[in-house]
Amino acid sequence: MSAHQVTPNESKYAASARNFRNNVARDLNNAELRENFHGAMHYLRDKRSAAFPQQDELETLREQCKLIKQRCLAKLPYLLEQLEENLTSNGIKVHWAESTSQANDIIATLIEEKSGSQVVKGKSMVSEETALNDFLEQRNIECLESDMGEYIVQLAKEHPSHIIMPAIHQNKKQVADLFKQNISDFSYTTDVDELINVGRNILRDKFCQADVGVTGVNFAVAETGTLCLVENEGNGQMCTTVPPLHIAITGIEKVVEMLDDVPPLLSLLTRSATGQIMSTYFNMISHPRQIGEKDGAQEVHLVLLDNGRSQAFADEELRQTLQCIRCGACMNHCPVYTRIGGHAYGTVYPGPIGQIVSPHMLGLEPTKDLPTASSLCGACGEVCPVKIPIPKLLLRLRQESVKKQDGNSQVMKGEGVGRSNIEAMVWKAWAGVHRHSSIYNFSMWWLTRLRKLMPSKLGVWTSVRTAPKPAAKTLHERVKKHQSSGAK
Amino acid sequence: MTKLQHNIARANILAKLKQQVAGADYTKLPIETPYHYPEIEREQQISQFITHLTNNHAQVIKTTQAALAEQVADILNTLKIENLLYGKDSTYSQEIEQLNPTVKLQAFDFTLEDKKEHLFNNTPASITSSHASIAATGCIVLWPSKNEPRTMSLIPPVHIVIVDANDLYSDFASLVKAQQWQNKLPTNVLLISGPSKTADIQQTLAYGAHGPEKLFVLLLNS
Ligand code: SF4
Repeated sequence: MSAHQVTPNESKYAASARNFRNNVARDLNNAELRENFHGAMHYLRDKRSAAFPQQDELETLREQCKLIKQRCLAKLPYLLEQLEENLTSNGIKVHWAESTSQANDIIATLIEEKSGSQVVKGKSMVSEETALNDFLEQRNIECLESDMGEYIVQLAKEHPSHIIMPAIHQNKKQVADLFKQNISDFSYTTDVDELINVGRNILRDKFCQADVGVTGVNFAVAETGTLCLVENEGNGQMCTTVPPLHIAITGIEKVVEMLDDVPPLLSLLTRSATGQIMSTYFNMISHPRQIGEKDGAQEVHLVLLDNGRSQAFADEELRQTLQCIRCGACMNHCPVYTRIGGHAYGTVYPGPIGQIVSPHMLGLEPTKDLPTASSLCGACGEVCPVKIPIPKLLLRLRQESVKKQDGNSQVMKGEGVGRSNIEAMVWKAWAGVHRHSSIYNFSMWWLTRLRKLMPSKLGVWTSVRTAPKPAAKTLHERVKKHQSSGAK
Repeated sequence: MTKLQHNIARANILAKLKQQVAGADYTKLPIETPYHYPEIEREQQISQFITHLTNNHAQVIKTTQAALAEQVADILNTLKIENLLYGKDSTYSQEIEQLNPTVKLQAFDFTLEDKKEHLFNNTPASITSSHASIAATGCIVLWPSKNEPRTMSLIPPVHIVIVDANDLYSDFASLVKAQQWQNKLPTNVLLISGPSKTADIQQTLAYGAHGPEKLFVLLLNS
């Protein structure tokens, strides 16, 4: 297997991201979907703001957590080595994957070595990134999602539309219909407690039978060799405790230096994500089952995935993307995400974080439209618990996508793909006009005099807006006139 | 992936990262200032702990060590549960054993593989001790052991946990510091703030997603 082989799923994500504009048109016209997102985002925003009653606490924590993540990134390669060393001496085996296909291969091999055929999976966006389910299915290994939201999404043969609440795009009636189609003895109900109970019963059997548990990781602590998982349902614990083999997969940026780094990050994570002061469970795993212990996975593995992260790391500004703790607050507060929903982006990670991280994972060619889907209102940057300047990074990615290729070393895969010579010329002319006052005044004079010639239809711009109309006189002229008339 | 490919991936990732941080001076990193939470009285901490847990649908019952058996019997009685899983030779096993013979006690003296189905299908409730607790977030800290394995707080639909108020810490950070966790961590540490729950269907909270549907906290406060 070559390191840069593209799996069918990588191209699937790339293809749907490339189709971004059509996806947007499709989803904006879906009234039910828009209502589902509208309600859900409202709920999550209210919960978050109630969880931070004191602005000074929030701001102190955000600054602290930003600096923690920046320190950990500054030491990243050394922390990864330390993490590997400590995990290994704790009995947890570490694997490294540069690409998603490498990661999938590692996981499949581990499962096949144990003749595993039934996998239960806790919520893991990184395994979505590698499209692990599809990959294992091709090798006749059942991989069942066990987070309720993920389970629903898997039944519907969809992808998560939100990184924290995967099935946020569905309402209870849609879930009930889905169960009716897929679960043989389901007696129809739209009662949420009953629906959850149906899922619980099915999944409990699966936990009991499964031979492998796959999960993500929220923080990997280098100092102690500890994998930390945040969750509410208990399925993460089931996956890490009941099957004999536990495989965790995570991005290389999830490592933190010290155990002391965990409490503030955890506090901001749960409050920013769902407005909970603490998740129901926080699970810290440092060893496989030790001698004499009666339960817990007998073997634990960690797969560390790069998949474009080292590209982001190489540029100081873009590196901030890796500070992300995947809380989802940026999408909850994004006016664009709230309207178009999570699937329109086409990528694994939707919303503002998806817009800044996907170009590193898939390259700018399929994702170049994503950074343009922002009004730059700044809400994402304001709520981000680790202070990632998302709007600034969106601008930077826009620049990268239209950058002139000058043969200098490449910053991003696919940089410059969006460059159009006409657009470049227009901006060059615009810059020239604005640099020379005589040309500027001359052109403005003409522009105002020829205002009647302004077309009323300007392509997509006027599809939802009226065309701008230049004023009858330039501002300079009016000011001059105002001054000469002696007005105060 | 072969061992060789594995090593190549590792070397490539680390080389790419190291190239970027070569010569970095880690003594010049900015100071990270934590937030100083106002200190609060012990009684207030206890009520904070209870309030958070109660808000999360856990039931907190204040009791004493002497009255433990009676309390547990009451809970089980109300729920019409006759079997209880417990850990032999654990902190409160003597008190729990007083429940005999009204309650059918089962000790976790087997490995998970031996009785997996039994644990999933015929174990309605369990009782464990706890390692510590946290006031600010209303958390119970479990430090599972050979006597009280971790599935005890996970698989049975009802979990009763005994918390000694003397082991209450103001917040997670101070607990980690006070007990110097970085020096020795067990196989698994677990923080629990309520019964298992989900809001994955239309943001409607439902309890008992996969773990216990009910969590009872017996708070010993002498
Ligand atoms: S970018 Fe910030 S707000 Fe968005 S998911 Fe990451 S940490 Fe949360």
